[in-house]
Amino acid sequence: MLSLDPNTLLGIAVVALITALNRMAGFYLMRHVPITPRVRRILDALPGSVLVALLAPGAVRGDLGMMVGLVVAFLAAKLVRNDLVPVAAAMAAAAGLRALMG
Amino acid sequence: MTLAGTVEGARAMLPLLPGLTVFGMAFGAAAAQRGLSLAEATLFSGAVFAGLAQMATLEAWSEHFTFGALVAIGFLTFAVNLRHVLMAAALRPWLGPLPAWQSYPALLVLADKNWALAMRYHGQGGMDGGYFLGAGLVTWFLWVVGTLAGHLIGGGIPDPKAMGVDLVVPAFYIAMLVPNWRGRRESVAWGVAAAVSIAASVLLPGWWFIVIGAVAGAVAGGFTD
Repeated sequence: MLSLDPNTLLGIAVVALITALNRMAGFYLMRHVPITPRVRRILDALPGSVLVALLAPGAVRGDLGMMVGLVVAFLAAKLVRNDLVPVAAAMAAAAGLRALMG
Repeated sequence: MTLAGTVEGARAMLPLLPGLTVFGMAFGAAAAQRGLSLAEATLFSGAVFAGLAQMATLEAWSEHFTFGALVAIGFLTFAVNLRHVLMAAALRPWLGPLPAWQSYPALLVLADKNWALAMRYHGQGGMDGGYFLGAGLVTWFLWVVGTLAGHLIGGGIPDPKAMGVDLVVPAFYIAMLVPNWRGRRESVAWGVAAAVSIAASVLLPGWWFIVIGAVAGAVAGGFTD
């Protein structure tokens, strides 16, 4: 339960180190990149693009519950300025649909 | 960075509480199956705090790490987490003016969901770096607690799909995206990101589709004048 195996600790240390370096590298490198208007526009477009790239492949491959749930989330986010509503509505829609379809 | 901003960021993460806890539990259960002890699994989540990388490296875990096997999981980690390089780059204009002893430690809690939330906050004019830190700390805490619970419960976790838990994160991303749509630039960036990430997910193995789709979308958006 509470045992710590040196082999496992070594593996965890490698994954933790690389992850930490990844998190800091982009921030550090941007110190040396002048923020021109063009760079600024690319950085501004980045958050949305990352989210779409995380979302899109899973969405097009998802079941009906996933697709309907995402449409419900979109509509809820359009209507209400509260993040809990789209999340809860999407969960309910997907869970309900899946229960109906067995 | 203010305490008020930190609390505000922490509170804004709460819609993700069920999702983050369940995903932490899924990792805890998977780690238990792989033979990691409770302490090891919890330490893994606490020290790494990157779900995708943890799941991916767990698949490639070895009972006896050789140098080659360590290099392999190191490279796998780098590839899966390459998106964090982009995400941290986007934080530079906002957190760059902070002293390094604040900004670099804060970057250790950079993860997809809290970053998305913090970027929306900043996009709407928010300047308090504490918001990023607070959202990150809550996410970290839920991830670690979820791992602990998942390891203890083991295989008895209810099917997340039946309860729609797999919708939590994508629906949250949509809630982040909708208020950020301003016009043609977003249409171009998001359209390109969607098309390229879907194509890359079909053509390439692993997680390359995230970084490739994100870079393609950001550059396309950046050159839409």
